[in-house]
Amino acid sequence: MTRGRIVNQIRTLRFLAGEMSQAELGQAIGVTRQTIAAIEAGKYSPSLEAAFRIAQVFGKPLDEVFRWEPEG
Amino acid sequence: MPYREKIAWMSLAGLVVCYVPYFALTYRSPLLDRPLPNLELMALFAAAAGGNALWVLVGRLILRTTTPPEERGPGDERDRAVDRRAVAIAYNVLIGCALWFGGVLPFLATGWHIVNAMVAAVVVAEFVRYALTVRGYRRGLA
Repeated sequence: MTRGRIVNQIRTLRFLAGEMSQAELGQAIGVTRQTIAAIEAGKYSPSLEAAFRIAQVFGKPLDEVFRWEPEG
Repeated sequence: MPYREKIAWMSLAGLVVCYVPYFALTYRSPLLDRPLPNLELMALFAAAAGGNALWVLVGRLILRTTTPPEERGPGDERDRAVDRRAVAIAYNVLIGCALWFGGVLPFLATGWHIVNAMVAAVVVAEFVRYALTVRGYRRGLA
């Protein structure tokens, strides 16, 4: 199985959304500020539902917010 | 720091503060070899367990009053994922210890040595749970 990691554009999208705070985004999708920070830092991969919710907040398709990168 | 990570740190400290002296004292003294009912050992264990319960109670009260309400609400999916992984591994540690102590120790030891080993198994499993909770928050689940 190919190993990889999930990268995301949440920090950029928050900036483009008028410097939306992590707390505001968290509140919009029903998670804490710390969880948004962990997702941005790549320490936590959100559930599929949370990922869709994040994409919906920014009005973007899922693959513009999250991307899977194979290692190596 | 997430509220539940603070609770895990506090619980870890409580286990170390209350149970390390207990096990150090019981294994370094002849307390374990005394005949039943070993009231001194039971009193010592009650002090350790009661002290730990008090530590956790006071710790949770302090954390509850010093953490903003929006940060100590019901856990979200990350909290549940961190807890699920920590509990799953700690459960395996507990089962492993129980099988070892229950299956092997009766041939090597008797009485309170076995009881104390089972208590140690529970404490070790709890320690693993909280340590993995902290690790889950700090290093991620990947």
